[in-house]
Amino acid sequence: MEKVLITGIAGGQGRLLARRLHGDYEVVGVDRVPWESRPREVRFYQVDHRKKRFEDVIRRERPHAIVHLAFIRHFDDDPTTRHEVNVAGTTRLLELAVEYAVKKLIIFSSSYVYGALPENPFYMDENSPLNASRTYPEVRDLVEVDTLAGAYLWRYPKIHTAVLRPVSVLGYDVSSAIGRYLGLDLVPTVMGFNPMMQFIHEEDVADAIARTIATNLRGIYNVVGPSAVPLSVAIRATGGLAVPLPEFITRPAVTALFRFGMYPFPPGVIDFVKYPCTLDGSRFEAAAGFTPRFSLEETFASVRN
Amino acid sequence: MAVRVESLAAHRRAAARAATHESAESEPAPKPKRAAKRQPDVFDQISEFLAQLAGAVDPSVIRSLNKEVAERMERVPLKLNSFGYDPWGLHPDTARRALVASALAYRYYFRVQTHGVEHLPAGRVLIIGNHAGQVAIDAAMIGTAAFLEAEPPRIVRGMGEYWLPTVPFVSELMVRTGSVVGTPKNCVDLLHNGEAVIAFPEGVRGMNKLFSQRYQLQEFGLGFLRLALETHTPIVPVAVIGSEEQAPAIANLKWLGQLLGMPAFPITLTWPWLGPLGMIPFPTKYRIYFGKPLHFDGDPNDEDRVIERQVDKVKAAIHVMIDRGLRERSGVFF
Repeated sequence: MEKVLITGIAGGQGRLLARRLHGDYEVVGVDRVPWESRPREVRFYQVDHRKKRFEDVIRRERPHAIVHLAFIRHFDDDPTTRHEVNVAGTTRLLELAVEYAVKKLIIFSSSYVYGALPENPFYMDENSPLNASRTYPEVRDLVEVDTLAGAYLWRYPKIHTAVLRPVSVLGYDVSSAIGRYLGLDLVPTVMGFNPMMQFIHEEDVADAIARTIATNLRGIYNVVGPSAVPLSVAIRATGGLAVPLPEFITRPAVTALFRFGMYPFPPGVIDFVKYPCTLDGSRFEAAAGFTPRFSLEETFASVRN
Repeated sequence: MAVRVESLAAHRRAAARAATHESAESEPAPKPKRAAKRQPDVFDQISEFLAQLAGAVDPSVIRSLNKEVAERMERVPLKLNSFGYDPWGLHPDTARRALVASALAYRYYFRVQTHGVEHLPAGRVLIIGNHAGQVAIDAAMIGTAAFLEAEPPRIVRGMGEYWLPTVPFVSELMVRTGSVVGTPKNCVDLLHNGEAVIAFPEGVRGMNKLFSQRYQLQEFGLGFLRLALETHTPIVPVAVIGSEEQAPAIANLKWLGQLLGMPAFPITLTWPWLGPLGMIPFPTKYRIYFGKPLHFDGDPNDEDRVIERQVDKVKAAIHVMIDRGLRERSGVFF
């Protein structure tokens, strides 16, 4: 039985993935935070993947595959920590994978790396430029991680490296920015803008990762759910009420509130509810034989339980 | 209140007049001979125009138009998801309401005469036309023609300027009614999906040209032809007559446009002098000519001069139809 190591296993997506892989693989997990009530079959190490002890885990466990989910996507910590965990942490992990002859490596990026720009076509493929940092400098570390992994992919052809860029993930377990946003009762939007958006259910994401491991995929892949709907439809379908505010109010308000720690996202996030960031997922569907099993209705229903 | 009631009554009377006028026209009888001798003067034409406008205000006209548009919408080939949206954000219910409005403009304001709509092939097609008039009414009228007159009805997908999605409400409305940002990827995807895509290779150069340059085709971009070659799509050339006089521009203050984040800032006879009202175009008579589909073969990545030769053929086809249209009309407004 192949052994899979999951970083960030105590997070929502990590726990789901562990459950999905259990039975087919030997699952080992690491996380910076403790994991209460974990299943007995999963060996868990509470270590920070930036630290020396992480290397000890890899030396002892010698995993066949590593799924790297340990990224900080929120802005609650200070920017230095975030940058270090995301960029320095990934760099270290990539080096260790070479050193300990890991066969498969999956880096969990996201659709946000493309950025939400007015001139975005619908259905950007994997060759589209990564523009996120142009209007959203706070997430440039995640763009950097994606780029690092892409370069690594070509430098080490013997390692099956796959970079997955899923669209907005919704579900009971995963706490995503978009999930938190849609979970509000009154959802602020930008007046006069209502972009098409794509969503994928967390279980489908776990399935996509499992298929990536099973099919030894190499390359960069968009992972896309059922179809696209306007933001307003998503808000209605998840049981919220859209509150359109003119941009001349929204932008200064978000900027000020974020600066004083009263709002969780910097103003760059506004573009993601103004302009589309919709992806073409056909490459992954063909390569991994993937089709999302959860409909949009089911995906939306999972936001509020 | 009283004023409104009175004006409504006036509209009704005018509508009735319009109706009798129509029935009089449909009778063959000896009358036409006399009519042919006496050239209808400007006042006849204006009153006819006003009667038609008043006819449009008649609720029964709008009701029947609603029905007609809804019936045609049913027959448009569309792929919708369970929430009623197509992959490019088109929402038929929104598009239907927009089409009723533009059908009113098509029939009663610009009184569009469309020729050769049967040249539109089934499946993917690239519609290429001359662009003018400060606001893209030419695109709306070509789209309305393809919806009202083509069989089966088509929803023409517009390729919008890159700045349009940054304009509140426009950004949403353009997508709901079937348009997208004019990137090559969007165009190729739509054509692969068998859609009718419209593009104006003159772009802003055409749309914001001055009145003195009317019906002079400006420089064409080459991108559309490369996309046609790449996707093996027939090109249907279209000439629009009337759009180039709808908002005569006497200057274009590019610096002011730049300041406001717009591609141009035209000064017309009415804009910006009359404020938002100044954006309403003159009721020029529109004539739209669809030409026979042109087929091109070759390497989409060939040198510019090779592509230019093929673009010139499209340009020439439009030119011939513009000349015909200008010859055939007797005036700008009628």
